[in-house]
Amino acid sequence: MLELRGVRHRYNGRVVLELDTFSVTAGAQIAIVGHNGSGKSTLLRILALLERPSEGEVLLDGRPVSDLRPQGPWAPRRHVTLVEQQPVLFRGKVSDNLGYGLRVRGVRRSAVNQRVAEVAERFALTRLLGRHSHELSDGEVQRVAVARALAVEPDILLLDEPASAADRAAAHALYHALAEERQRRSFAICLASHQLEDAYRWGDDIRALAEGRLSPVTPENLFRVELPEAAVGALKHARVGPLTIAVVTERSGPAILAIPATDIVVSKERVPSSARNVFAGRVTRLARERPGAVHVTADVGVDLVAVVSEEAVSDLGLSPGGGAVFAFKASAVRVF
Amino acid sequence: MDFLADGFRRAFALLFSGDAEVYGIALLTTKVALIATALACAAGIPAGFALASRPFWGRRAALTVVNTALAFPTVVVGLLLYGLLSRRGPLGSLRLLYTWPAIVIGDVFLAFPVAAALSAAAVQGVDPRIRRTAQTLGAGAWRTAWAVAREARFALAAVLTAAFGQTVAEVGAAMIVGGNIRGSTRTLTTAVALYASQGEFGLALALGIILVVLALVVNVGLQLLQGRGRA
Repeated sequence: MLELRGVRHRYNGRVVLELDTFSVTAGAQIAIVGHNGSGKSTLLRILALLERPSEGEVLLDGRPVSDLRPQGPWAPRRHVTLVEQQPVLFRGKVSDNLGYGLRVRGVRRSAVNQRVAEVAERFALTRLLGRHSHELSDGEVQRVAVARALAVEPDILLLDEPASAADRAAAHALYHALAEERQRRSFAICLASHQLEDAYRWGDDIRALAEGRLSPVTPENLFRVELPEAAVGALKHARVGPLTIAVVTERSGPAILAIPATDIVVSKERVPSSARNVFAGRVTRLARERPGAVHVTADVGVDLVAVVSEEAVSDLGLSPGGGAVFAFKASAVRVF
Repeated sequence: MDFLADGFRRAFALLFSGDAEVYGIALLTTKVALIATALACAAGIPAGFALASRPFWGRRAALTVVNTALAFPTVVVGLLLYGLLSRRGPLGSLRLLYTWPAIVIGDVFLAFPVAAALSAAAVQGVDPRIRRTAQTLGAGAWRTAWAVAREARFALAAVLTAAFGQTVAEVGAAMIVGGNIRGSTRTLTTAVALYASQGEFGLALALGIILVVLALVVNVGLQLLQGRGRA
């Protein structure tokens, strides 16, 4: 649906984004993870057609956006809506804000009012409709901004750090409302976050961005599993390829397991420990994403990534092709 | 001190006597200032938006020109305009020299940079997320500009005030291209200059007071408008 090809973007001569391809297909749930300054917000602004890349092409439904611009730059933009990291509301009431996108599309006043009431109800904003934007808390502003973006029913919703202004409860409510919205109507979501938890919760397609490039070391260690029923308090064992991973959880049924790369202990041989998950394999890759931290990928039946120090790599003599043992506790495995 | 007190006494006597000449001058000044402010803002505010909104080749140079023009001496503008409008000038056939529209033209030239520079500053002061938010919600160029203008409306009201202040208080260009002709092109400022030089201090002071009251009324009016839109 929306695709970037050969995109390079510069600010003051410095390349801040460099992507050979990046596509958002209809109905996709993409999470872009990366540290602050990794280029996530720039990428979202380009996807939202608010910035033109210095080089490369943006295609909407296979057609270059530049071909669609003669109708007006707003024509292609009306397919994609961005909610910024710290969204702003226009002066005026919450109801004015919710109806803004509809009014600029020339929707009749009665229809605007109806749609505003509906979206307000779905996002639990009905009691706030008469409030002025400056009277809202940060969490409420965030919720209004997301509801305002969805009121125009975009094909793609771009969310930049949607949970940053909200506490956990508010973030949970927001995610719940988004999930309900997706049940009501199919649209793609592309969410940028520096919190892996948000990415795990949302994305079925997680892409890592580092220094403006898609990182080959993805925050993987993500596995879709079927958790069995088990007695409360007992360890559960989930099949992941040829591995059986021990997990502490009370959930059962379909789930996503996330093993934080920093919670994996790497050794040359099996050592007695409290770790319930110990897998031997071969190192396939060493990547240095930031100074001092090395991402070690090993094939232990599936690819697992661990983050260790440069000193540990040296002490253990880790190198591609060499053996390694990856160990992590059952309680370190996160379940979503 | 007597001389000053006598001046004030004469001024108030004139103001309350309903002197036709005094009120004629005040009316002409108001008319010229309002028309010139409207024209200068109609051109200057969009120019300020354009200067502040998006980068284009020569933008920095244009901003420098506009900012420099803020300090342009009014008599120099008057002289240049005189050259254009005089019989031998390229626009002499329009026969505008020594008419009130000539004063309007001079005032527009002087108030345009004020409107452009201040509105550019006002727009630059608006959170850039407002523009992006309007655009991502599907607004076209005009709707986006309107969203930005709404956010900057207090600063833009100050642009109107400043432009009106420039036109109502202008004397150099008005004197040169208007000629300070009694009953025709005599404005409050040119009249004050004339009567003060003739020693008619009370009359000059009366006109000066009207000038101040005029500026005050316009400012209060704008503040009331701002108050209504504060919600």
